[in-house]
Amino acid sequence: MAKHETPMLDQLESGPWPSFVSDLKQQAEVRAKNEANIEFQIPRDVVEDLLGVLELSYDHGRTHWKHGGIVGVFGYGGGVIGRYCDQPEQFPGVAHFHTMRVNQPGGKFYKAEYLKQLCDLWDFRGSGITNMHGSTGDIIFLGTTTPQLEEIFYEMTHKLNQDLGGSGSNLRTPADCVGQARCEFACYDTQDLCYDLTMEYQDELHRPAFPYKFKFKFDGCPNCCVASIARSDLSFIGTWRDDIKIDQEAVAAYIGGEIPPNAGAHSGRDWGPFDIQKEVIDNCPTECMWMEDGKLKIDNKECNRCMHCINVMPRALHIGDDRGVTILAGAKAPILDGAQMGSLIVPFMKAEPPYTEIKEKVIEPIWDWWMEEGKNRERLGELMKRQGLQKMLDVLGFEADPRMVQEPRHNPYIFWKEEEVPGGFKRDINEFRKYHQR
Amino acid sequence: MAFISSGYNPDKPMEDRITDIGPRKYDEFYPPVIAKNKGQWLYHEYLRPGVLVHVAKSGDEVYTVRCGGARLMSTTHIREICEIAEKHCDGYLRFTTRNNIEFMVDSKEKVEPLIKDLEGRKFDGGSFKFPIGGTGAGVSNIVHTQGWIHCHTPATDASGPVKAVMDELFTDFQSHRLPAHVRVSLACCLNMCGAVHCSDIAILGYHRKPPMIDHEYLDKMCEIPLAIAACPTAAIRPAKVELPNGKKVNSVAIKEERCMFCGNCYTMCPSLPLADTEGDGIVIMAGGKVSNRISPPKFSKVVVAFIPNEPPRWPKTVEVIKKMIEVYAADARKYERLGEWAERIGWERFFEKCELEFTHHLIDDFRDPAYYTWRQTTQFKF
Amino acid sequence: MEYEEAKKKITEALQKKLKTKSKFYFSDLAKILGEKPRVAKKLINQMVQEGVLEYWSSGSTSMYGMPGTGKQAHAEHED
Repeated sequence: MAKHETPMLDQLESGPWPSFVSDLKQQAEVRAKNEANIEFQIPRDVVEDLLGVLELSYDHGRTHWKHGGIVGVFGYGGGVIGRYCDQPEQFPGVAHFHTMRVNQPGGKFYKAEYLKQLCDLWDFRGSGITNMHGSTGDIIFLGTTTPQLEEIFYEMTHKLNQDLGGSGSNLRTPADCVGQARCEFACYDTQDLCYDLTMEYQDELHRPAFPYKFKFKFDGCPNCCVASIARSDLSFIGTWRDDIKIDQEAVAAYIGGEIPPNAGAHSGRDWGPFDIQKEVIDNCPTECMWMEDGKLKIDNKECNRCMHCINVMPRALHIGDDRGVTILAGAKAPILDGAQMGSLIVPFMKAEPPYTEIKEKVIEPIWDWWMEEGKNRERLGELMKRQGLQKMLDVLGFEADPRMVQEPRHNPYIFWKEEEVPGGFKRDINEFRKYHQR
Repeated sequence: MAFISSGYNPDKPMEDRITDIGPRKYDEFYPPVIAKNKGQWLYHEYLRPGVLVHVAKSGDEVYTVRCGGARLMSTTHIREICEIAEKHCDGYLRFTTRNNIEFMVDSKEKVEPLIKDLEGRKFDGGSFKFPIGGTGAGVSNIVHTQGWIHCHTPATDASGPVKAVMDELFTDFQSHRLPAHVRVSLACCLNMCGAVHCSDIAILGYHRKPPMIDHEYLDKMCEIPLAIAACPTAAIRPAKVELPNGKKVNSVAIKEERCMFCGNCYTMCPSLPLADTEGDGIVIMAGGKVSNRISPPKFSKVVVAFIPNEPPRWPKTVEVIKKMIEVYAADARKYERLGEWAERIGWERFFEKCELEFTHHLIDDFRDPAYYTWRQTTQFKF
Repeated sequence: MEYEEAKKKITEALQKKLKTKSKFYFSDLAKILGEKPRVAKKLINQMVQEGVLEYWSSGSTSMYGMPGTGKQAHAEHED
């Protein structure tokens, strides 16, 4: 018998999509039975109370959680989000219900053995409810009490060789796409760069000294599967500078209908026979492709690497070999002044270990600038807007490049610096007056 | 419930403390076929919705079966995932950015038994535990935030609307009939922990009432300068207030017309709650993308200013989304993303075809970017 | 700056402001110290390590305060 009636939530058990309500209920039952004889360190009926308080929110149309300022474990300024229920008498199991962020492994690859160790720890010292994964990428442990935070951290670091993720004005847990591990489009090792920077900047990740949050994300190619261009302060997107490699036999096989276009992604509808002119060549944003004597030609110098042709014919077209990253800065969600996409600051940089150029020429100078000039709660993108892209290039010591802009400025209001104008700003008014009357 | 120590000594927090060790290293968890062929993959193909094969230069193949999952997940469910991985995949698995679960095997014979096993598993309530799909020109899993299950400023729930929408879009999760992939996202308030601002379709929780002020308790529970500083639009100022009993207290006043309903003040000060049954609901946005394919990334645009919260199944929200996808499916060209289609036919046509009302709320009036969304040409359609 | 001097500066400044607020941004502390962010961070980290300062977080933003001060700590029964 369930502790709380949940008539509204029960309606979310039907239908084909995995029901979180059914999952919560099974978890409540497992805890109630406790066949594994776990000495639960937080209330055994925590999941029942979670269902109860959620039902109450469905009834009221309002949340029943309050924020808490608790931040983490001793010495860390992030990794824990404090939560308290605003109906603790009714739902004592979730009176304190803090979140812990656990730094996920690269590419979100796991071995069952390790996941089960995480489950053991979380069943013992927490609610057993998680998010796999949070928006930033962490494994989220949802719901434990204050005294358990240090205990969980101690066991995690001592037994699982595992650290917490970031929150607050920290470097947030970096996240990557599946990358070279299982994708032929990946132009650099996203997982290695992600891991390397995560380890290099542990202090920035755990001890907040930034004006606000800061995110790194790593996409292996311009398809941007982790959306780095839209949601990271520094977005690393794989690219190449040389030619797309063409396998003409495979091109012919696509044309002949032997291989399904776009890897079979459109198999659910009859779109008619594959038409390379219409589907690939005419869709090319730079019009740099054509057929000649039954062969596909690409004017690679004009290609902007949008990935469309490669996506449509992955067996025939392959990324080039002179690979690296394009770096964009300043993406963020709308609050406050409006959403910002990342703006291009580095058209191309090699991304090979130990990644010294990325760290010393890009990341660290940007942080120094932002930490000194950024206002409280100002994201990098907002500082860029306030002080300008030119200023940022100045800080980084980068030359202006037309690749950095969509188009040149619309106004002529160039604030010339004195040293840029021959003779400087100091002039002799008397000399001027010799030729110009007052 | 006796307290069991991990070995941590609260009197000496630094004793034996291990810090700054970071995550487990990625290559600890690579399946052997991945470890062997990393960086040497040649091409991939979708064998059917939800099933991929990647072929390496070595000739090795890895077959991936992708399953949808509620990102809100119990350890019981994770243990079942582990059991499947151990049974079929030597214990290896991965998750995708969009909260899907991927089981990988290294030969074709292992695929069918895995699929059969996954398809046969259902929750007691009847829903699939591991529906296969989420690839190609279909609808993948919805990325979302916490909502009423855990957040203090949500204007809607997250898991509930996601379940309701995915139930409706389920056939498109399991098929490849759309012109291109459609990415749906949900954020439960405008702070957008789940950055939904570049999604084909975004479901966004939105408050419409400024916070209430609990004058009697505010000065006892909150630090007024912090509440004031929390407001991004500077709508909060200190105020002396006389309570009904004649007592004068320190509190705040809110310039209501300036409030953007973000809830940041409530984070700093629990005496400024803003959740409201009638005030809160959902904004629908559409036409965003993050890929650089064919056209540059785009922001999502607001296409429905407000839909009330309708727990437990949010029927109006579901209906609007379903309609948009059906019209897009019927009208867009192959490879065209929802936003590219809307721009080609024109947004005026988009509203007409999707049978959405265009109200004054949909004209941007917030700061500088607004101007760039107005029409500065005579080119429009009747 | 010597650590002891920094500690004195911070505790005195924060004590003075305690009447109105108990939590401060990193940049406020750096200003009190009159140091560049990187130098300030080392000193402030040590103060956290020694329990002179503690963190407070809104989830998205972090602040610093002296342990046990502030009104919310009481409200949460965590002090």
